[in-house]
Amino acid sequence: MTTLKSNNSQWRLLGFAAVLLATAAVMPVAPTYAATGAEQPTWRPAVSEKLVKLPNTYLKKALDRDFSDSPLAGAIRSMDSEIKLKMQTLADLQSATDQAEGEVLTELRHQFLAQKQEYLDLMKNRQNLRTKHFKTRIKVYQRLLKKMSREHSGQSSDKAKLVERQTEARTRFEQSAEAIDMKMFASTIAPESRYSKEYAKNLSAANALLQAISSHPMSAQQSSAGPSVSKPDYVRELLASTEAELSLINQEGEIVGYMAKLVALDAMALAEQIAENDPDLIEPDKPVGVSSAVDLFIH
Amino acid sequence: MKNNLSLLIMAGLIGLGATASPAAAGSVENLERERAIMLETMLKSDLTPQERHEKVRVSKRRLIDLERIVLRDKSITGRNSPAVKRAFANYDLTFLAHASTEKNLLVTDHWLEQLGLTSQNIMASARRRR
Repeated sequence: MTTLKSNNSQWRLLGFAAVLLATAAVMPVAPTYAATGAEQPTWRPAVSEKLVKLPNTYLKKALDRDFSDSPLAGAIRSMDSEIKLKMQTLADLQSATDQAEGEVLTELRHQFLAQKQEYLDLMKNRQNLRTKHFKTRIKVYQRLLKKMSREHSGQSSDKAKLVERQTEARTRFEQSAEAIDMKMFASTIAPESRYSKEYAKNLSAANALLQAISSHPMSAQQSSAGPSVSKPDYVRELLASTEAELSLINQEGEIVGYMAKLVALDAMALAEQIAENDPDLIEPDKPVGVSSAVDLFIH
Repeated sequence: MKNNLSLLIMAGLIGLGATASPAAAGSVENLERERAIMLETMLKSDLTPQERHEKVRVSKRRLIDLERIVLRDKSITGRNSPAVKRAFANYDLTFLAHASTEKNLLVTDHWLEQLGLTSQNIMASARRRR
């Protein structure tokens, strides 16, 4: 009975080790999301005009908020909690193996390896989800840049000339407005019109509001982030940092692959150790030599 | 409540980027109309000089405001319509009231000067067969 039980656990470990090695060999190359019957969590942000018009810092915040409400973010968050729990389990098992001995130790080590494998599966899945998140973000930034460059390049040379003329006209008007007012409205023959009076009143109200906006703490926060950059430059900066995050995830994938290999090797070592320590291990039969049967043939 | 607050924030931020309210439709057309009326008054032969002067003065008053409305209208920036293009092609001809006051000229004198109809040119002209 003991023999059967030991043999069974040994074969189980060997089989487990073989599966782990096979998985570890594949893992760094093509990590796969555990296929379940359920729909894959996604995030589908829309690149609308609204997003293009937002100030720089709020663009990222709006995207972060949109992602946070998506099923993909929910899946990543729940994966994070599972990983935390699994790490606690691993820590508990490790301290238990330090105190155990004999058959209990063997079983605990087996469990430890199994839990490590589950942890690695969770890490793999989380990396797939995070990769999906960052790839989607990169696509959004690329679409934003395309939209911005389309709007900018849409300005023909005629339009550019018109805008230049309008700017010149406004500059000339602003430079001469005060002098013209003096000449026009100084006399009682041509008093200031209602439009002029109301415009001046509204202008001073608008200036007061602009002053309040520029001295608002949130405006100060925006400007303290550094010298203001153009929107395309800011989006390119976000794109570069997201690409960097993606490459870090790829690197983490390699690390998980190495961990998996270690787990497989540990499983093989455990299997061999069990085999060596098994007192009931039956030595394979030595083949009987023909010379021992000679007496039977010699009369 | 969280959604309403987010909507408020978004609307406010987009409003920060918006620099112009929708234009009063046809600010350029209104200016052109008033300028045409003033030019017609200037060229009417059945008015006495005093009547002409008074009508042009009142028209100039209105024109000053309309010219400022056009110059301050940010919604026509880059609007590549024929009227807008024509309006900004020549400041001195479009914004008659401002340009004439800048140069300390009467509107009529300034307009005639822009068309090349100075006293000198008229005196120098001769009537002859082509």
